[in-house]
Formats: sequence, C-alpha cells, structure tokens
Amino acid sequence: MTTQELEQLLAQQPIALLHRLARGRVQRHFRAGKRRLIEILLRHSAENRAGFESDLMILIGERPARPIPPAPQAPAVRKPKPAAPQHRTTHRPVEPDSHEPAITLSSWLDGLGVPPPKAFVPDAWQEDAIAKLREGDVVVSVPTGSGKTYVAVEAARRAIAENRTVIYTSPLKALSNTKYTEFSKIFGADQVGILTGDRRDNGQAPLLIMTTEILRNLLYDAGGGEIDIRLDTLGLVILDESQYIADPERGVVWEETIIFCPGQARMLLLSASIGNPHDIAEWLTSIRPTPCHLVRHSTRTVPLRAGYLHPNGKLMPLFRTIGIPHGHPSHLHPETKRLFAQYEDETLPTGRRR
Amino acid sequence: MPPSIHPVDLILALRDKHLTPAIVFLTSRRACDEAMQAFDHSQILLPPIRQQAIADVLEKVIAQYPSIAEHPLIPTVQRIGVAAHHAGHLPSWKIAVEELMRHGCLDAVFATTTLAAGVDFPARTVIITQSSIRKSRDFTDLTIGEVQQIAGRAGRRGKDLVGFAIVTPSPYIDLNVLTKGFTGHPEAINSQFLISYPMVLNLLKAHPLDQIQPILAKSFAQFQLNQRAEVLERKLDGLREQMEPFGPRVCTDWITEWQTFDQVRRQKSHRAPARKHEPPEITARFHFLTPGRVVGIGRSRGVVLRQYRSKGQKSPMITALRQGGGITESPASTVTEVSDRVLDCVDAPVYPWCTPESVEELLRHLEELPGRLPELPILIPKDDEPIPDAIVQTLGDFACPTCPSRSACQRDYPHASKLRQEQQRHLKSIQALRTSLWHRFQEKIDVLQEFGYLTPTAHLTADGEWARLIRIDHSLLITELIRADAFNGADPAMLAAVMSSIAHDDDRPGAFPRVSSGLGSLLGQVRKLALSLSPHEDPPLLRADIAAVTERWIGDPSLTWIGLCKSTTMAEGDIYRLLARTLEFLSQLHTLKGTHPGLADTASRAIANLRRGVLEELP
Repeated sequence: MTTQELEQLLAQQPIALLHRLARGRVQRHFRAGKRRLIEILLRHSAENRAGFESDLMILIGERPARPIPPAPQAPAVRKPKPAAPQHRTTHRPVEPDSHEPAITLSSWLDGLGVPPPKAFVPDAWQEDAIAKLREGDVVVSVPTGSGKTYVAVEAARRAIAENRTVIYTSPLKALSNTKYTEFSKIFGADQVGILTGDRRDNGQAPLLIMTTEILRNLLYDAGGGEIDIRLDTLGLVILDESQYIADPERGVVWEETIIFCPGQARMLLLSASIGNPHDIAEWLTSIRPTPCHLVRHSTRTVPLRAGYLHPNGKLMPLFRTIGIPHGHPSHLHPETKRLFAQYEDETLPTGRRR
Repeated sequence: MPPSIHPVDLILALRDKHLTPAIVFLTSRRACDEAMQAFDHSQILLPPIRQQAIADVLEKVIAQYPSIAEHPLIPTVQRIGVAAHHAGHLPSWKIAVEELMRHGCLDAVFATTTLAAGVDFPARTVIITQSSIRKSRDFTDLTIGEVQQIAGRAGRRGKDLVGFAIVTPSPYIDLNVLTKGFTGHPEAINSQFLISYPMVLNLLKAHPLDQIQPILAKSFAQFQLNQRAEVLERKLDGLREQMEPFGPRVCTDWITEWQTFDQVRRQKSHRAPARKHEPPEITARFHFLTPGRVVGIGRSRGVVLRQYRSKGQKSPMITALRQGGGITESPASTVTEVSDRVLDCVDAPVYPWCTPESVEELLRHLEELPGRLPELPILIPKDDEPIPDAIVQTLGDFACPTCPSRSACQRDYPHASKLRQEQQRHLKSIQALRTSLWHRFQEKIDVLQEFGYLTPTAHLTADGEWARLIRIDHSLLITELIRADAFNGADPAMLAAVMSSIAHDDDRPGAFPRVSSGLGSLLGQVRKLALSLSPHEDPPLLRADIAAVTERWIGDPSLTWIGLCKSTTMAEGDIYRLLARTLEFLSQLHTLKGTHPGLADTASRAIANLRRGVLEELP
C-alpha cells in the first residue's frame, strides 16, 4: 500500500477509529482534528508500516461493511449532536470494575419459579410497625410490593376491635375503589364504607375509604364547626402512598390532612422508598402529641434481578453480580456493556448509519 | 438492527425463558396500541385451556361492566394473552386487565409509566424501554425513586421466588439513568406547599388571623425551611467564630468605620481628574450630533455637518451649517438644544463636508422648519454619585489616620468585610426562610380582601362564606363567575360544558364536535374574566372543543357512549376522565344549595344527565 493509498483509506475512517488506532502510538492524539491526526499517524507509522497497516485492517474488519462515503475528503471532526443523551455514557470516568468474574445467564435465571405454598408469616418490620402504632404515629417507608397493605389491614383490624373509626386514604379514586373491594372481602361488606366526591356507600361503617382530598375537606368542615363525621371516635388514619406529599400540585393536601388530623387519632403513613423518611417522622413528632416512629426497610421481599434484552432477542444479565449491586452503577456485565455499545453505535445519528 | 425489539419477538423471548407474566412499560399510549396491533396476524397462540380461562374471567368482568363487551382488543387478548393498559382506556377496561393479571391469565401487559404510580398489579417481569417520561410536555429523566417504583412491580409475593426487571433498548434510552436508578438510593422528597384561595378562606373560617402563623409553622414546608435555616444558622455560628479575632478595637464597629474612611479616601483622590473631563451631558449629546441633525446653537439654528474631537481643542467639536448659510466650527458645549429632526445630507470628505447640492437643500429645509421643534429626549448617565461635600470636609475628622489600630484595621479589613457580608446575607436568608410561608399567605389574603371575600380584618364576608366551599382548581375564577351571575339562565348542558373547559388541563389536539353559539359566547365571557384574573390565578385552558364534548353528552340524553366517542378523536379514557372531573366540579357547585339554589339545582340536573351509560356503571 502506498502512502497515498493509506492516507486515503485513513481519511475514509471515522475519527473514533483513528483515535483507537492512535492509542499507544501517539501521545495526546485526542487533541488533534482528523486531518492532523492522519498526518501524525502517518509520520509515526513510518518505522513500523506493516504493523500499523495490519492494526488498521483489524479495526476496519471489526466494523460491518459500510457504503464508502461519496467524498473521499471527509470533513474535519464531526461534532457529536448534543441532543443525543446516549453520548454521556462514553465520556463518563469509569470507576474500576469489580474483579469477580461476571455471572452467566443460566445462573442469573436460576431460581426462577414459584415458591412452595406456605402459611403467611409477617416480616419483622411489619410486626414492628404494628407494635409501634400502640405507642404513637408510624411512618413506614419500604420498597414497592413489600406488603404495606398487610400493615394497614392489621392496624385497621385492631382499631376496629377497640370500637374506633378508621379512615384509609389513597391518592387516586381508582385505588380507593380497588381497596374498597379488597377490604370488603377481608372485613365484610358491612364493615367498610367508601366516600368519594359523588359516591357515599356505607358511610357509617367503622372502616372508611376515601381519597385524601375528601378527608382534607372533612377536616376543614370539622374545623369550621360542621361536624360531618365521627371525628371524636376517630382512632386511626392511614395515608397510603404518602410519598405524594412531594407532588407539585396535590402534595399540599397531604400536609393539610396531617396538620389538621385530630390529636387523639393515630396516624399511619405508608410510603414507597424515599430518601428522607426520617424527616417526615421528625416532622410528625414535632407537630403531633405522640412521638412518631419510623419503620424503614430496604430489602425486597422478593429479590429483584436486572437483565438486558438486546433487540436481536439475546437476553443477558445487566450487572455482573446476580442481584443488584447497590451503590455500584458501573458494575455492568461485560457482555451487556458490549452489546449496548454496539446498539448505540448502530442507532446513534452520529454513527455511519443515518 | 431494528431500533427496538419487535413486540412479538419480545413475547416469544419471555415465554421461552419462562419470564411471563410481564409488564412492558412503553413511552406512549400510541406505542402500546401499536404493540397490540403487531399481534393481529401473529400465530403465537395460547393453548386452548388458557384461552378459556381468559374468556371466563372476562365474562365475569363484562357481567359487571357491560360497556367493555365489544372492546376491540378482546380477540387479541384471548388469542395471545397480551393486553394494553393506559390512560386512554376506560376504567372498566383497566379493571378487566387488572383482574386478568391478578388471575395470572395474561403473558404480558403493555402499559405506560402512569401505571407505575397508579393501581398496583405485580408481575414476574418488568420490561423497561425508556429512561425518561413526559412531564408536562417535556421529557425528563426518570428519578431513582421512579425507576425503583417501576422495577418494584416485578416479583409477586408468594407467587415468585425472584422478580426480573429487564431493560431493552429503544431510541429513548440512556442506560446510565437506569443503572443509577437500580443501584441508587431514592431521592429525598420536598414539600410542595401551595397556598390556595380556598385554603385561606377555610383556615380563616376556623381560626382567627393571629392563630394562622402557628398553623402554617406546623407544615412540612416550614419544617423543611427550618432545616435549611438551621444549616444557615450553623454557618452563621462558624462565621461568628471566625470574626472573633476581629472583635471590637478602638471603635466598636471598626469595619464600618474603616469602610467609610477608606471609601472617602479613595473618592477624594478620584475627584480631581474627573473634573478635567467633559460633563456627562456633553458626552451623551455628542452621540446624537450626527450629520444632518438639526440643533440650536446659541440663539440661532443649524444643521450638523460633521463632528470631531480635535487634539488642539479639549472639547468635542461640531461643524454646523447655520441659518443664513454660514459654516462654523464650534465646541459641542455651545449646542443649546438637540431637536429630534434629522435632515437628509450627503457626506463629503472635504469642506463643506457635504455636496454643494445638499448644502442648498439643507438650507431650504432649515428655513422651512417650524419655529419650535420637539427636543430629543437624551438620557444622561449619572456619574458615580459623588460623596456629599460634607463628608469630604470631615475627612480630617476621622480618627483612623492617627488611630493606634490603623495598621491592624487596614490589614484585616478585606477579610473581615467579606465575612461580615456573608453574615448579613445569611441573616437575610434566614429571615426569608422563616417568614416566606406567612408572606405568601398574606399575599392571598390581600387578593381575597380586594375581591371582597374577606373583610379588612380578615373575617369572611357573606361571599367568602360560600366561596370557601369551592375547593377545586381555579376556584377564584369559578366564584367570580358565580358572583357575576354568568350562569344565570344557563341550562345544565351549558353549565357543565363551561365547568369541563375549566377542569380540563390537557392540550392534546384532535377533532371535536362543533360548539353551539350560546356556549361560544358564554365561553368568551369566561375567557375575558379569566384573563382579568390572571395576575392572581393562572387561567385555565378553556378549550371550546372540549366544552362541546360535554355539552353534547349532557344536552342530548339519547346520545350513546359510542356515539359520543365517534364525534371526537379523544380517547375513551380521556373522555371518561373529562366527564368524571366535570362531575367533581359540578358536585362542588351543588354544595352551594344554601346560597345559590338556582345554580345548585342546575348543577344537580347536569349531574343527573351526566351519570348515565358508562359513567353510571363505574363506581
């Protein structure tokens, strides 16, 4: 290959390939533009032209065949489009990978199945939450699907046994309806009532389900002197999905409800995992007559594994460990990393494919 | 390679690895619908037993909610065991899908991420195809909490030993966001304490004004503000400690003392050269003394031909063509007035600085000009405010030049003054943090007093008494409409239509039925009022097309649900939600039966008309 041919071949390659080629050959090659880079590469390849050419061929061969761009004189550096968020991946400093070997797909899939039926035994945190409710208010912050409903049901059962009224609120009407059906099955239809903007079923039942807005309105009307509901016998208020307190539009309703909730009633706040549940607990302690306990639990009852499905149908673990490596987002499975890089390469607008 | 996996391949892969049932989260409703269409001609059928099981469950749900009996997705659901579940569907359809999932009949549900926050039905596997969601028109990256909420649907307690969250790339994915979401710690949540008008009215109904501040102090918002204030206070303590070595010297407030002294010193030295410069009026005017400008020089008038700064002359100069034809050079300071007229003038590089023709032209124009010309308003930039002479006079009175601690003050001043500035900044922000809620509350009180819902002593007026019962968005607009008697004589359909256009906050385009002329003019009035209220309350979208949908449904009791859906391109679920929200607004109006019996009656008639068909069958 003559120097001129080589130069032309280099000019046809994407700049990323040239940089890879320059790695170990040229110092500070990332500073150079394409034309300059080619110049430097040619100068440095003078000593070992054969090795240089074979490296180039390997790099070119790694990429699938592509149409040769019409203009042999490629434009200088093509700037990556700033709109492509995927590019962030490549520029992040990579933290060192763990040195254990990555797991295989079969061991990742291992353990899939249905557990043998066994009697329900409440988790320690569930028992804890129910016990703490005797002493004061409780904030529960646990991952999705850990069994918050069990705590709500047990707490409600105990309050009803003491002839106290229980109010259960959820953020959405649809959720209220689901819970109404669910609780009616557990406690019996005559024990459960529902209040929504336009529906009032069994309003005298000991367990009342409503949206948080309705409860807020009830508390306001009580504050205005028009007692609507038996607030004096109110024993327990359960606020489900209380992470809604951070909702930009509706969050204030949760705050109002908590501020105006009568002092003799206990509060049970059920929330998904949030970063600062202790703040909520502290806040409740500071404004309510009884101290508030925080029940927090971060491991999931059913363990979670993360996977990666390539568009060609190939399934791989996402991380190199079998579970989720908490705190180590970069412990990706090497094969997944390669597949995803390949995917990005082929779909990115800056790649050779348009 | 395709940009993302084909739905049929996806289901096959999941079945192959025994990863069903799965929830597939897609970016949009359309993506869900298209995924369902992909199965139209697919032959990956379920075994007959499972098809039968699905049919059984569906039959039960249909018995309860007949509206979904004809749902177009049912054949695909039965054949393949996949379903779509998103906000465009009727609640009854969503209930059916949830019921099927609960019985374990389905292999996959295609859903939008709204599902993650709403109803909970878990699955063995969750498929994630996106790393951002649409929040009020913009796509934002998923937070860690949201990723965990989505992934948390994987793994059913008692039915699965392990749950799987599987990422599959699509053009909308940033793997980093997701891996961070999986492995990270959820974000802290922050209070969003919006003070609304009904809140103010209701609080003031129950509590006198002087008790409000303690109530606001009980909010989570104030709790978090206090936390921030405490951080600042700790910083303040640290600053105080750092300031200690700079404690009182000869004078107690030596920093201020030195600052004034230092300033005066500097000012003094600057003053002398500043005098030599031209006065600022001249500088400001000189910019406008361009060729052709008509100016007054002394008592006569002239046209500027050129301007220059001569080295021999200290002041800037102009060459002007005077009345009578003379061309004079004069300092710019002799210009007594600058008019706003500029005459056409062709420049030339040598005397007389413009072409001879234009000299004559100019002279003619100059003679024709009226006696008085408006002056050009020229803004004169203020010079640095000079220190009043009185202070300068007393420079000798400062103790500093002879003070024994002068050198220490001079040395410490830069550091100490920086610390003190920081201290003052912190004090100000602490003050703001402690009182901001109260100020926001007071702003609302002011508005309510201005509109007459509150007396000057912050008690509820007669209007305030009923207005506090309207506890929905845009309450100020609604109460003002009621006070303006805007609904006087409006029929139920019209009232409901206006309410629905106030309630609706989605700007999805589409095709809608026509608006009746009566409704159109009423909406025009509402829009005018909403605009005039906009300093106090964000105006609603007030879409007439949306109002027309509601008007048709309520105005025509013989209209069926299918008929309504056919009249617009709005999705069924959206129409349902629109009507449900209208119902909510109407039932708020219904609570005003004590003070506005006519309106409450119209509202209740509208509610009666609204609740039929699909809206009646649902809880």
